[in-house]
Amino acid sequence: MSRRIAFISLALFLMASTAIGQTKVTWWQFWTDPNIRPTIQAIVDEFEKQNPDIEVELTDLTWSNGHEKIVIAFSTGRGPDVVELGSDWIAQFAESGHLADLGEFVSSDSADFQGWGMATYNEKIYARPWFLGTRVMYVNRTLLTRAGYDNDFVPYTLDHFKEVAYKIDSLSNKIYGFGSNTAEKHRLYKKFLPFFWSMDAQLFTDDGKYCIISSVQAVDALIYYKELHDSTGYVGTQRQIEDAFLDGKIGFVQSGDWLLKRIELEKRNIDFVITNVPGLKYPGYSFKGGEFLAVNANSENKVAAKKLIRFITSPENQIKFCKANYSANPSSKEAQKDPYFAENENLQAFIRQIRLAVHPPVDPDWVHIENIIEEAIEDALFGQGLPATALRDAQIKITNLKKK
Amino acid sequence: MKQSRKTALLLASPWILTFLIFWAIPLVHSLIIGFTDYQLLKGSEWIGLANYKELLSDQSFLDSLSNTFIFVLGTIPVTTIISLGLALLVNRNFKGRALFRSAYFLPSITSMVVIALIFANLYERGGYVATLAAMIGFTPPEHGFLFDSSTALYSIMAMDVWMSVGYYMLIFLAGLKAIPDELYEAAEIAGASRIRQFFSITLPLLQPVALFILVINSIKSFQVFIEIFVMTSGKFETSTIVYFIYETGLRTDFRLGYASAAAYLLFLIIGGFSLIQFALMRRKQPLW
Repeated sequence: MSRRIAFISLALFLMASTAIGQTKVTWWQFWTDPNIRPTIQAIVDEFEKQNPDIEVELTDLTWSNGHEKIVIAFSTGRGPDVVELGSDWIAQFAESGHLADLGEFVSSDSADFQGWGMATYNEKIYARPWFLGTRVMYVNRTLLTRAGYDNDFVPYTLDHFKEVAYKIDSLSNKIYGFGSNTAEKHRLYKKFLPFFWSMDAQLFTDDGKYCIISSVQAVDALIYYKELHDSTGYVGTQRQIEDAFLDGKIGFVQSGDWLLKRIELEKRNIDFVITNVPGLKYPGYSFKGGEFLAVNANSENKVAAKKLIRFITSPENQIKFCKANYSANPSSKEAQKDPYFAENENLQAFIRQIRLAVHPPVDPDWVHIENIIEEAIEDALFGQGLPATALRDAQIKITNLKKK
Repeated sequence: MKQSRKTALLLASPWILTFLIFWAIPLVHSLIIGFTDYQLLKGSEWIGLANYKELLSDQSFLDSLSNTFIFVLGTIPVTTIISLGLALLVNRNFKGRALFRSAYFLPSITSMVVIALIFANLYERGGYVATLAAMIGFTPPEHGFLFDSSTALYSIMAMDVWMSVGYYMLIFLAGLKAIPDELYEAAEIAGASRIRQFFSITLPLLQPVALFILVINSIKSFQVFIEIFVMTSGKFETSTIVYFIYETGLRTDFRLGYASAAAYLLFLIIGGFSLIQFALMRRKQPLW
């Protein structure tokens, strides 16, 4: 009996000492999709296997309220050790002092990754790029042929693009040239800005001091976009536009790699090609964003947290993740060379586009600036506002905001 | 006696604690932070009435306020009249009465999110509502009812009326059942027509029920949120006060102090409305 008690005590002691010796790292991430979640778990399991002294506690967030949860957790001092952040959130958390400076940590291999610009605020690096995202132009080749163009033709310039969109639109009352987003928060501006940047317009002067959103180029861009919207636009939410595209009703749709995933998973029978956003001189500039991994400034496990981040963002794990998620833009340059990307023409279009993509300024006020820009676009597209006055009002509002 | 008081307190303590933790303390706390510039991630400072002053000159808030009033004043009379009409209809004896009662009541026990998603589909370009509108000679909005400022709010209001009438019909029905049959019999002997009976007996005796419906419907309508969140996200001039509070406090810039002040302004508006309605309920003279 006493031997049994001694044995149990020893076992408990060993278990307790193992637990005491382990570092627990908490990681909050957004990938709950059943196609991707097992890959995330497999990456974590492999990490724990290679690092028996570290235990990873995974918490799933949703896109609908994950941002709020992170804000509340950081505000109450209970943020995770490692957190996945969208590129437009980094400045907000960096400014409030909740993210650890990763400058020294990433300096050794920063040249092997893309996307640092979006993780840099006030000349400090606050996150490590995981994978990037951009929008490309999906073209319905059947409609292109019906409109009288060759099957392998894609429009190179903005003028040409508009001409083809008009021709496709005139095919029938139920066929539209271009998928134009309705007033959807966080989406509409991402669809307009590629045209804006491709027409040489800028949000701010090069030194970032002055807003120049109502420049001649910017107004021309909004006039161009409004003409496309009014004359050839299938107006709807992103989901509705993509549905209509997959049903063969729209010639051109701006979308990300998630549409590729949908076409593949739903086995949609559509003859399409992916091309770059058109510009004044082909190709144009698209919108760039991405997912990043950051470390909580107040984490007591920074060393383990950084180890985990390095592991997740390693080229081989990025490839695993991208394959599961159909993501086209790993941040690792080595991962981009993998045959999975190199031999797939559709994914190559994304890799070409990301080199010609622009990200919005890394600014803690971006959420407000974005709101103002969206209101201006909405006013021009759906309200009574003229493009020039809508953008002039936006410029005044952004300037006043920056003065505050 | 003391022992039984202690026991009563102990037994009620789960409710008291829940009330304090989830209702009373947050209510007082939000009142206090309404006087600060409290913003998540940034901390707070006491700013007195500045939030309230800012709200009264904030165009987004004023637009949301105006939309809320349009919603309240537009839906309540229509809902009340239709639900009274339905109650009168299903109060009569006819075959399948129970089926009609259940059918009218069904939407009010269905999830608002589900209904909003279904209606968003019906209101789409080329959807059933657009087709129906075209059939009766009305040109539907080009991109759908919810993507046009001139129709979006009214479309949501129509859905809300459709969803609510069954619930209020049931309350009116209970009121109708409480009216003694003798009154109608006496009126019939005196030669009063059906219409006269309705205006002289039914309507006056239903006054307390109607006022009760007005109170609960106006409180509910002032707090409209889910429909807006699901169907338009406050775009196309559909933002209401609660949606504004949600956007300001939990979505865009996490200004909880400012959002709390807006919530208390809404509380004052609902409180004022309810007081007027309660005063009317206490009147001994019939309103009509």
